[in-house]
Parts: sequence; structure tokens; C-alpha cells
Amino acid sequence: MAERKVHHLSLALFLGCLGFGSWMAATSRLELPPILFGAAVVAITHLVTVPAPSGEHLYLGIGAATAVAFLVDDPAALLGTLSLGMALTYLILIARRTRSMSVRSQYLGEVTALMAFASTVVVLRQPSGYSSDQHGLVLAIVATAGIVWFAVRAMARSLVGLEREDLSARFLWLLALEDWAVIVSLFTAGALFGLAWEHMRWWAIPLALLPYAFSHLAFVRYNNTRVTYGQTIRALAQIPEVAGLATPGHSERTASVAVSIARDIGMHPDEVSELEYAALMHDIGRITLNEPAILRAGYTDEDLARWGAQIISEAPFLEKVGELVREQHRPYRSIGEERDETVPLASKIIKVASAYDQALHDQMLSPVDALELLHLGSTYDYDPDITASLRRVVGARGDLEMLS
Amino acid sequence: MFLAVGFVLAGAGILVWLLLPGELPEPLPLLVVFAAVGVYFDWTAVEINDHLVISTSLLVQLTAAVVFADSQPVVAVVIIAALSPFQPIDFKLRRWFEPAFNFGQLVISAAAAISLFAYLAPHAAVDAQNLPRFVLAATAASALQGALNFTFVQFIFRTVFGARQVRPWSNMLSIMLPYLGTGLLAALLGGAYHMIEDLGPLTLPLIFVVFFVSQMTFVSYARLREAQDSTLRGFVKALEAKDLYTRGHTERVAYFSELIGTRMGFNGTRLEKLRWAALIHDVGKLAVPRDLIRKRARLSGNEYEQMQTHVHLVEDLLAEVDFLQPMVDIAAHHHAHFDGKGYHGGHEHEGTPSLEARILAVADSFDAMTSTRSYRVALSQDYAFSELRQHAGTQFDPEVVEALIEIIESRGERYGSPDVDSEEEARRRAEGVRLDG
Repeated sequence: MAERKVHHLSLALFLGCLGFGSWMAATSRLELPPILFGAAVVAITHLVTVPAPSGEHLYLGIGAATAVAFLVDDPAALLGTLSLGMALTYLILIARRTRSMSVRSQYLGEVTALMAFASTVVVLRQPSGYSSDQHGLVLAIVATAGIVWFAVRAMARSLVGLEREDLSARFLWLLALEDWAVIVSLFTAGALFGLAWEHMRWWAIPLALLPYAFSHLAFVRYNNTRVTYGQTIRALAQIPEVAGLATPGHSERTASVAVSIARDIGMHPDEVSELEYAALMHDIGRITLNEPAILRAGYTDEDLARWGAQIISEAPFLEKVGELVREQHRPYRSIGEERDETVPLASKIIKVASAYDQALHDQMLSPVDALELLHLGSTYDYDPDITASLRRVVGARGDLEMLS
Repeated sequence: MFLAVGFVLAGAGILVWLLLPGELPEPLPLLVVFAAVGVYFDWTAVEINDHLVISTSLLVQLTAAVVFADSQPVVAVVIIAALSPFQPIDFKLRRWFEPAFNFGQLVISAAAAISLFAYLAPHAAVDAQNLPRFVLAATAASALQGALNFTFVQFIFRTVFGARQVRPWSNMLSIMLPYLGTGLLAALLGGAYHMIEDLGPLTLPLIFVVFFVSQMTFVSYARLREAQDSTLRGFVKALEAKDLYTRGHTERVAYFSELIGTRMGFNGTRLEKLRWAALIHDVGKLAVPRDLIRKRARLSGNEYEQMQTHVHLVEDLLAEVDFLQPMVDIAAHHHAHFDGKGYHGGHEHEGTPSLEARILAVADSFDAMTSTRSYRVALSQDYAFSELRQHAGTQFDPEVVEALIEIIESRGERYGSPDVDSEEEARRRAEGVRLDG
């Protein structure tokens, strides 16, 4: 989505939230101070994020919204609190001079999803009337609203994200599903607080916050380790390059192209990260070349792939990655025959991405000529489906227009 | 052996004594649920190397104590505790000592802790008025359980493995804090169960879901860390395997460093950091052409420079990984001398290197002396010790040297050739047998 459009849309949503929220607050049976207090809590929790397994940062706001849904019986008060909360969030974003596109387009998604959440609660509660002691029923209603929230949010994000370079809708959906654990613990914390407040008063705060803090800590740690693990592999993958045994930057570029292709095809996020590791380390076998005896004896691509796989497979967790590296030299079919199904998709992607980068940086070809070269190899070496995806990826990156 | 039998008998005795009156906690199905959740958490438990993480199974036990506060809390918790130590992996590996010891230990400490709990909050109804009392009781029980666990494990380590773990009592607060938090949380969760009317048992899934999710995330966190560890370890192993003489060097240096670190009272994260530093201390050499490393003659100035450049390039590479950065610093300084007068990469070091770097230096030199090189066979352990002692105070930190010698002697391990007591002898013997890769 164009930047201007996102800008205007988020401004419109803010005004909508402010107007609708004030109207609802005015007509609600609840006094104004508690509504404003709730709105402030919703806004503040929208400023705090937790790193989720998909690598995305989720706002804690939905936890506060869940608590509000339990505490407020009056539909107008619920809608008013959440709308005013989101309006306040926008003001805080402006005050912090957050101009970044991503935050604004996230705001679009958050507001839409939260409104869907509130409407679901209101609609489902209407026929059953309001009675604050039917906790089980409220729990079921809010849980349903939570599922609606999740679906709307994922949909909104894939709509906004779709026009972003190379992310396929399927990939974005799978990515959103990876985060269910974070969402569940946010909901639960909100629900615990909402249910306990009436009976336990201030004790409800540690009751809801302590368990959440525990899982928050777990998510933060998991995320930190995920990042440093990636960095470690990146660093190890570059050892052949700093040793002068491989082209500098080749593994990094190959990995970047390979990941784009995988996302374009719509591979599962887990497979994409395996592919990324394999692509980063696809040349690690070259470290063996600092043995003079091996240089004298000569070697083939298959040898390099095998040596690389041997090194990688020393780490039990990377067995699958080692497998992908071992198979990277194999052709996708024998000439005139059907595709060889035993060659992993990821290995075929690495082969194409690596060849593309070599064509650009070793043979100094233009992107168009490099693609031409890969098309020429489509009878045997390079799977045409992957080459077609590469063409889309390269097109989306703007490499082709640059030259024409 | 007798010890394990003793623990089992004590545990079984308590269990029988509690169950004999035949008064089971009510409602029974709820107890089954708690036991199942407790067992599940114990089976999936992971060890994470610091004290921040509370034990989820302890939380389940204490929550059960509050939930069953008005109906035999001690019996309820002891049943849950008695079930958890038996894990499928133990049966598969035919281990019996650990589960037996754990069974006895857990039953004893659970019985003691929950008795304290029941004493502090006797048959009171869990309501808003009594909640602070339950918080106090559960926190006290948690602290007692923590202290008992800690004591038993220390005791068993001393008597069975002969290791003297130096854990200063000043650490006690940081060990106790999570237990206090667990107690507070258990009281609140149990309180929520009693106090949220008409929802009652439905609160339980809410309560456990949070812990299920956290546990799951911690498990994947621990697996990821293990993955990271084994990746680096595997790489180093695979790469150094090419060189016959340095094979296993990194692993051994990591092992010696860890021994010294434990001896000097390191724990948790600090010990882990030291091990990582040891694992990467030679990675730089991977990028150096083999013939340069294997060269027997002295390296020319040019060659030495070439080697250093490669080493530094890899160090810079690893230093880009945020969390490896301090480890790279340690590794880069392990050639520096204790008295601040060593040379490394042509730069004179200012001041004393960090304790970690001093430990790594001793571990590295000890392994270098006690393993075979291309030009000499391994030296004897006694020679290596006396050599380390001789350079203590100048090249090595005397305290670190003594720590290494003490721990290796107390463990009765022996390294190096049995009777090669001088460099000359080692070189002469190497003339006979040459191991060329």
C-alpha cells in the first residue's frame, strides 16, 4: 500500500475512533473516569511489545482489551473504552514522532482487529443478556472474540503486507499461526485479571502479571537466542570467505535470494529458516580447500557438497540442513525424464540462487543475462519453476527495471 | 547405593504413613488432574543455567496445597510429588539411582514443606480475608522446599560424586527469590480457584495454560541454545578433525576451563560464558592454511603475520555476533600474561587480563603440554604441573594454577604420558614414531 494511502487511512481511523468512542462513552451507563482509565491502559499496553516466535513483535494491548471485555458489562462502555484507547494510541504515536510506515500500517491492522473483537463480544452477549456471574459463558464469548481478532488481524496484515516485495499470502498466514503461544498467554493473562478482579481486587494484578511475566521472559529469551543463533551460523558460514577460499559475500547474497524465492513459492516458515541456514553454509565445504593435498588431488562440486554436509552434520540439530547442502549439486531431473522427486525443493532453490549470484558477481553478467543463463540450464540443472519464481523475485526487487 | 535405598525407604515410609488412615483428599478427580499436570511438567522439564527459572512442577504442587487446603493438603501434594521422579527416559536407560534418590528426596521435602504450610494456615477457608495468610504460608513452604532440595542435592553431590561445589551463601538470596515468587503465585492461583465463584474448576485450565505455554517456550529456548552450542562445537570438531595433532584440543580446553571455573565458584551464566570462550579460542586457526599451522620450523615474520591476519579476521567475524563478543575478548586475551607483560599479535597488553582469560590460558597450556604435538610426544602430568607452578605469578595466575591442580588431583584424573619428564625426552621419543596426518 502506498505510503500516502496508509497515512490518510490511519488518520481517518483515528478520527473515527475518537468520534465513535466519545459517542459511545457519552451514551454508556458507566461514568467517564473508569472509561478513560481503561482507555489509558489499552493505549499504554499498545506501546509495549513482546517478541513472538515468528520474529514479529506483538502488542500487549489485546491482553488489556480482554480484561476490559470481562470487566465491562455495558456494550457502549466496552466499545467506547476500546475506541478511545486506540485513539489515544494514535496520539501517542504522533507525539513520539513515529513516522515509520510499518508502525502506521500496523496501527491499521490493530484497530481493525480490536474493533472486530469488541463487536464480536457485543453481538454474542446481546441475546444472552448481561449477568456478571455467568463467568463460563463470558469466557467462551471472549475466547470466540479472540479467534475473530486473530483472523481479522492476520487478514489485515496480509492485505497490507501483500504489496510488500515478495511475501506470499500463504507465508504470512503460516507466520501468524506461529505466534499462537504468545497470543494465548496474553488472552489468558487478561482473562485471569478480568475474572479475578471482582473477588480478589488488587491481588488480581500479581495473579495476572506474574504468570505472564514468566512467559514474557521465555519469549524474550527464545527470541534473543534465535537471533544470536542466526548470527552464529552467519559468522561460521563466512569462515571460508575470510580464509580466501570462497567469493566474499556470496553465501550471504545466495541466502537472501533463496529466502525470497522460498517466500514467493509459499514454503512453511520452518522450512524457510532451514533453507536460509543451508544457503548460508552451502559453501562451508570449501574450508577443506586449505589443505594443500586436496588442492593437488582435485575435487568436484559433489565433493564440496559432501564435505560441507559432513561438517554441518556434526551438529545434531542441523542434520536436515546438512542433508540440503549434500543434495545441492544434484540436477532436478535426468534429461528427457520427469522431475526427480528425491531432490529436496530447498536444495534446488539453493542451486538456482547460488548460480544466479555467481553469474552476477563472478561472470559479471547483468540480471537479465543471468536469468537467460539459468533458463538455458533448465533442461537439466535448474528447475524451471524455481527459475520462474526467481524472475518474479528479481522483478520485485527492481533489479530488472534498473537496467532497462 | 545404601544411600539410595535409605532415601527410598524414608520416602516410602512417609507415603505409607500418610496413606494408611485412608483419608484421601477431596475431590479425587481434581487430584488426578493435578498429578497428571505435575508429571507432565516434570517430564518436559529442562535445565536452564540460571536461577531465574522457577520449577513449574513445584508451582503445581504448591497450588495443589492451596486448592486442597481444606482437605488433606499434605497427602495430596505428597502423592503428586511421589509420581513425578519416574520418567520414561530413566527406564529406557536403566537408571535407577537418580529416580530412587529423587523419589525419597521429593517426598521428604514435600511432606515437610506442606506440613509447615498446613501449620501456618490450618483448615482456614480460602477467601479475601485469609488470602494474605495463605500467601505467607505458601511462600514459607516454598522457601523450605527450596532449602531442603538444595541441601539434599549438595549432600548427595558431596557423598556420591565427591565434588565440593563451592557455593557462597551470599548466592542464597538469588536462589531463594524464585522460590518466594513461586509461593506467592501458588497462593494466588489457588486463591483464584476458591474465590472465583461459579467458575471453580474452569479457572484451572486458565491457570495451567499460561504455564504450559511458558514451559513450552522455555523448552524450545533450551533446545535452541543446545542447538547453538552443538553447532559451534560440531563445527570446531569437524574443522579441527583435519589436523591430527589438534584433534580434541578445543573440547579438552573447554573441559579444563569448566573444571577450574567450577572450582573457583563460577556458576550459571558465567561458567557458560567461560566454556564458550574456550570453544572459540582457536577458531581463528581454521582460516589459516594448513601447511602454515603444521610447519615444524619457526615461522618467518611474513608467515607469522599472515597467520595473525587470518586469526584476527575470524575473531572480528565472531565478535559481530552480539552474545559472542565478550567471549571473543576472553579468547583474544588468553595469550596475555598474568603480570601484564605478555605479547599477542605484536601488541603489548596493558594490565592484567580478566580472570576468564587467565583460566583459559592455564587450561590451554596444560592441554598443550599433556597432548602430543608433531615435534614431541605428550609430557607427563607432573611435569606440566611443575611447569605451570614455575610460571605462576608471571605468565599464569597462581590461584588458577592451584585450582586446576587441586581439582584434577581430587578427581584422580591423569593426562599426558606417564613418564616423560622433560622437553628433551619428549622430542627424543618423537623421533622414533612420527604421526603424520
